[in-house]
Amino acid sequence: MNYNWEWSIYLAAEPGGTGIYIKYLVIGLGWTLATALAAWVIALAIGSVVGTLRTTPHKWVVRLGNAYVEIFRNVPLIVQMFLWFFVVPELLPKALGDWVKQMAPPWGSYLPAVMCLGLYTSVRIAEQVKSGIGSLSRGQGMAGTALGLTLGQNYRFVLLPQAFRIVLPPLTSEFMNVIKNSSVALTIGLLELTGRARAMQEFSFKVFEAFAAATVIYLLTNLVVVYGMRALEKKVRVPGLISASPTAGGH
Amino acid sequence: MISIKNISKWYGSFQVLTDCSTEVKKGEVVVVCGPSGSGKSTIIKCVNALEPFQKGEITVDGISVGDPKTDLPKLRSRIGMVFQNFELFPHLSVTENLTLAQIKVLGRTPEAARDKALKLLDRVGLMAHKDKFPGQLSGGQQQRVAIARALSIDPIAMLFDEPTSALDPEMINEVLDVMVQLAQEGMTMMVVTHEMGFAKRVAHRVIFMDAGKIIEDCTKDDFFGTQRSERAQLFLSKILHH
Repeated sequence: MNYNWEWSIYLAAEPGGTGIYIKYLVIGLGWTLATALAAWVIALAIGSVVGTLRTTPHKWVVRLGNAYVEIFRNVPLIVQMFLWFFVVPELLPKALGDWVKQMAPPWGSYLPAVMCLGLYTSVRIAEQVKSGIGSLSRGQGMAGTALGLTLGQNYRFVLLPQAFRIVLPPLTSEFMNVIKNSSVALTIGLLELTGRARAMQEFSFKVFEAFAAATVIYLLTNLVVVYGMRALEKKVRVPGLISASPTAGGH
Repeated sequence: MISIKNISKWYGSFQVLTDCSTEVKKGEVVVVCGPSGSGKSTIIKCVNALEPFQKGEITVDGISVGDPKTDLPKLRSRIGMVFQNFELFPHLSVTENLTLAQIKVLGRTPEAARDKALKLLDRVGLMAHKDKFPGQLSGGQQQRVAIARALSIDPIAMLFDEPTSALDPEMINEVLDVMVQLAQEGMTMMVVTHEMGFAKRVAHRVIFMDAGKIIEDCTKDDFFGTQRSERAQLFLSKILHH
């Protein structure tokens, strides 16, 4: 490859007047994280509840949960992003819709992006929480029930603490996905990391430098997530428990 | 104490229990045996409503199990149950396994629950393991903890669902010893088991089931004597002589 890398471009001022390019990108990382973290909180909350409800003995609750999951799982992320940005404000009561549309940038893009990513990710978490609970032996639920625990207590003290330990590794992947998927928000005008890398390329014509920086920054960010989650896994590890098998320690 | 009247149960169109009736009096030890698939585990799970049944009535201490108005969690908190696969909560320490229901169901203080838990662990000979997790114990030890956990809620009766079937042979006796002691102290017990030695030692009555029906329901002496059905004789000859 014959390309003259110009590393000093990072220290050049960007034309928007906010400072040098590297600062411009780091602010983009800030928006990436702000979007991803807010979406993660929403996804974890809704996903845990929906995933749990789908394992209850109540048929209608299970059906509602399944419908929710299928809706958000079967539509591409970028289409959902456009729906949240262009369509949802029109469906809201007029005053609320106008308020959303007139929000100053970047909030007018940030809010739909967070909602979109949060709900999109929530169904994936719901799936994982559901399969985590499903992987526990039926006897665990019975043992809790037989002791007199109510259904809610059984989930709270017996089933979910085990299920979350099991799904922690896939949740790590989801957390990384939400960070990576937040880049789709550039399509509705949010200047997060990818959006800013693209802008830098357009201003400076330094496409390799711009995306090299974005690549490295995403990589480092997700490495932090990986190590953070690994530390968490270690912290909640149960002595003697290698699997959900009830007779694991017996022989 | 436990009264089972004309219970029938279906899984879809398959009938697993057909018109079963029996009674367990206070302080009585009743052993339920029979070939696999005979419905013995199912009937014992109907007693604390872990399995629903479609016909008949079960009452425990005068409270109807099938009545939709019955507070099932409360009823269950008065009955101890021990499972074939122990079903200890693997994410909780041994002591926490014994205090969970005491605190969350019975509303005892953590201190009182802990005192009770330690007394029970001492009783089943596992005091040294109080801070371990279930995965760090042998099968026999886990089942003894499970019995202690069932006792932690001060049950009026205990149900055992094949408590020794998942154990290695050398661990069976340590569990049976705890159960024999419990029987001798006058606990009301309904025990699904193939351990005929246990039945001979402490049972008052033996129920023999086959294909979802109670074939025999008689005193221990009658059961191990001569007055029994051909089916029960055949079953006994198979499990006693190997």
